[in-house]
Amino acid sequence: MLDITNLSASYGEARVLTDVSVTVNPGEVVTLVGRNGAGKTTLLKCVMGLHRDYEGGISLAGAPVDKRSPDQRAKAGIGWVPDDRGMYASLTVAENLTLPPVVHSSGWSLDKVYDAFPVLRERRNSMGTQLSGGEQQMLAIARVLRMGSRLLLLDEPSEGLAPVIVQRIGEIIREIKKEGVSVLLVEQNVKFASTVADRHYLLAQGRVVEQLDNADFQARESELLVHLGI
Amino acid sequence: MGGISVHPLETQENRDMEDFIQYTVQGLSAGGFYALAALGLAVIFGALGVVNFAHGACYMLGAVGAAVLLGTFNINFWAALVIIPLLMFGFGVLIERLLIQWLLRLDILYNFLLTFGLALLLVDLVKREYGVSGLPYEVPPGLEGLVTIGSVSIQKYQLFVFAFSVVICLAVWLLLTRTRVGMIVRAATEEPERTRALGINVGRWVTPIFGFGIALAGLAGVLAAPFRAITASMGSNFIIVLFAIVVIGGLGSILGAVVAGFLVGLVEAYGQAYAPSFSQLVIFILMAIVILVRPAGLFGRRQEAV
Amino acid sequence: MGITKRTGTAFATLVAGGVLLAGCAGGGGPSTGATSELTNDKVVIGVLNDQSGVYKDLSGPNSVEAVRMAIADYQEKYGDDAVASEIEVVTADHQNKPDVANTQAQAMYDRQNADIILDVPASSAALAVSTVAAEKQKLYINIGAATMELTGASCNKYTFHWAYNTQMLAKGATGLVEDGGETWSIVYPDYAFGQDMLKSFSEAVEGAGGTVNESIATPFPNDNFATFITKAQSTNPDVIGTMQAGGDLINFVKQFNQSGARDTTTLAVGLMFITDIHSLGVEEFAGTTFTDAWYWNYDDQNREWADRFMEITDTRPSFAHAANYSAAFQYLEAIQRAGTDDADAVVAELEGQKIDDVFLRNGEIRADHSVAHDTYLAKVKSPGDVKEEWDYEEIITTLPAAQAYAPVQESCSL
Repeated sequence: MLDITNLSASYGEARVLTDVSVTVNPGEVVTLVGRNGAGKTTLLKCVMGLHRDYEGGISLAGAPVDKRSPDQRAKAGIGWVPDDRGMYASLTVAENLTLPPVVHSSGWSLDKVYDAFPVLRERRNSMGTQLSGGEQQMLAIARVLRMGSRLLLLDEPSEGLAPVIVQRIGEIIREIKKEGVSVLLVEQNVKFASTVADRHYLLAQGRVVEQLDNADFQARESELLVHLGI
Repeated sequence: MGGISVHPLETQENRDMEDFIQYTVQGLSAGGFYALAALGLAVIFGALGVVNFAHGACYMLGAVGAAVLLGTFNINFWAALVIIPLLMFGFGVLIERLLIQWLLRLDILYNFLLTFGLALLLVDLVKREYGVSGLPYEVPPGLEGLVTIGSVSIQKYQLFVFAFSVVICLAVWLLLTRTRVGMIVRAATEEPERTRALGINVGRWVTPIFGFGIALAGLAGVLAAPFRAITASMGSNFIIVLFAIVVIGGLGSILGAVVAGFLVGLVEAYGQAYAPSFSQLVIFILMAIVILVRPAGLFGRRQEAV
Repeated sequence: MGITKRTGTAFATLVAGGVLLAGCAGGGGPSTGATSELTNDKVVIGVLNDQSGVYKDLSGPNSVEAVRMAIADYQEKYGDDAVASEIEVVTADHQNKPDVANTQAQAMYDRQNADIILDVPASSAALAVSTVAAEKQKLYINIGAATMELTGASCNKYTFHWAYNTQMLAKGATGLVEDGGETWSIVYPDYAFGQDMLKSFSEAVEGAGGTVNESIATPFPNDNFATFITKAQSTNPDVIGTMQAGGDLINFVKQFNQSGARDTTTLAVGLMFITDIHSLGVEEFAGTTFTDAWYWNYDDQNREWADRFMEITDTRPSFAHAANYSAAFQYLEAIQRAGTDDADAVVAELEGQKIDDVFLRNGEIRADHSVAHDTYLAKVKSPGDVKEEWDYEEIITTLPAAQAYAPVQESCSL
């Protein structure tokens, strides 16, 4: 679904990513694990086209997207769930949901979204930023599901949320995986990552240092925790 | 008060009260006009992050355009209210495509300087073509004279300006809050990058929004033609008041521009009545107080002020 | 404000440059070959005025043209006998600012060798140039400014005040009071000119037996007068006098007419140029009375000159244009009589001179260097009475010079 090959990215003089290659297969959930500053969020922004200062190639379903603008990439099926959840203060919950265009026929209907997240229906006329953190995270995910994106970029969806909500997010990820949607997940919560992902990439200082399948990942959990400094 | 004869029995207090009501009506009328003129400035800043210094010059072009339509082509006020905003929309689109867009990614100062230069250019071109003394324009038939409500008489045209401005402000408000276009504009105003990442081509909206803001400036100019001197420099002082209004209201806030427009209109009227020499100063005193107490303006979001 | 002034500089440079070139090309005239009695072998006339701002139309570049007409007439009149065998015109834009006027005047006298500076509208700028003229001991004939101070406390040997002043403008008020306009409200811009005008008008009204109920200061510049007008009407005066000028005057009159005040109150305008009437349209001003220093369509002599002016400028002259012509011509005549352009000799020739020309009727250069002449109480015509473009004024009465001008100011000692 997504192929990132030999990608290097910089912020001005500072090199943030070096020679990174990551693949996400259709219907696969893949995580990027690493310390703060390892370059995980930058990699997502490169995929989304929000960070353009990179070399190397990104292709979606075999077609290169490097020359495309963020909105074209979104229309091609990449759905972005930013780490700050991306609420608009000047838009209501309903408007936050319906702002992006539906890009694929598999997009969830508004009813389906509201059935899956009843709280959003209840609060549809509130302003986006009046929701709790967990509710905002639900909304951010629901928004890209409604678009019908085929590849979700989730940036730390579990951060700062109560365990019961993290659990609910895990359920959602497994559910959309069943629909054939691919997910590239940035996560520091190793436990959570191991409950949803098929494969993991370990990032350190802007490089991929290791690639593990979920079984290995779970087996080496304590070692990885030390490695991540968590 | 002009048309009313004074009753000998009328007490001084009554008279003072009537005058006060009169001043208030005048303040609200001027306020509506200010709100309309400031609206475009706020829309443009909100959506593009451009401080459009040429807004006063575009207001002037609207008034001069109305005078030329009437004087040369015998096209009346009502038609000008439609034609001028359309022409100014086209002008705005042209300016945005030719000039503004190239500097959007740079510091806000670049477009500020660009529009400043543009204002100088437009003012000089109009001076060259039409001189400095200005152009004649008459009050449209049917709007001359006064209406008397109770003991207060109000100029019909003032009333018209007030009503028209309120309708336009309301229409813009509904457009922004009740339509998909408005939703996209609000989203693009708040977070242009993120909105792009959600599949919306923000750039496509930027040009028409700029044109729309310029059209509003032109519309204010047409409204001004019957009761203001139509000269090349008419916008040069006006823009300063408009800036004060958008700063008081909160940069980029539509509601803020409207509320501050009325506030400034009232403050100016009371200033003229009770402290004549300071009537323009009070606007800036008001601005200073607002900045001290709420640096982002009455309706501004904090991050926009930083 | 910022815009106008900044624009002014660039625009003025162009205009001034163009005028200068034209001046060099056209000002030469037939050379006499006679021994020159001229400083620097030529007469240099400087026109310092507003080339780009609010006073551009009422004086500005067309005053330079008027000066050039005077030079042509002088050269035609004297031919090879002209003492001023070579005449050059230099111009600059003072942007109506005293500091700029000061610098420009110094540059004109020192670097461009100007023998005289003409025009200089805006009272504060006019006074600044007067100081420079006294310092440099060179001539200065003011036309565009109204302040009494030029021939009062700040008068000096080299400064003349040619066309009008605030007291003369206020004479119109006397007539209005005598016609029954006894109670007045005066609205004035709160700076030197406005305060001067308020003083002169109040004296004139009260001198004729009227009363000033209310005087209202307004900011300058200003474009919203609605509440000031309501306030001016609150005492139900017979007359509302506005001392606003230029764009502010037009704003005031438009809003005055819309307030309905026109139906019950007479509007008196303190200072009005024909360019103001042209700009706002005769209908808006119809019936307004004011004092005029000169009107192009007053008689055949004026009209003939105005026709020549129109051929060159494509517009009709304001009184300032005619006064610039008159001042330049009479200056050259004084040189002719003196046989030199030496400043002291020319001043001596001008002092006490009685003059009749197209602008000055029964003119006299008085002891304080103010020039008294017949002036006119004018009324703006109704649109139906206008027979051609710029045919805007009806002259109600001619005020003889002695009546139009107050006695020489005692505060002046030369």
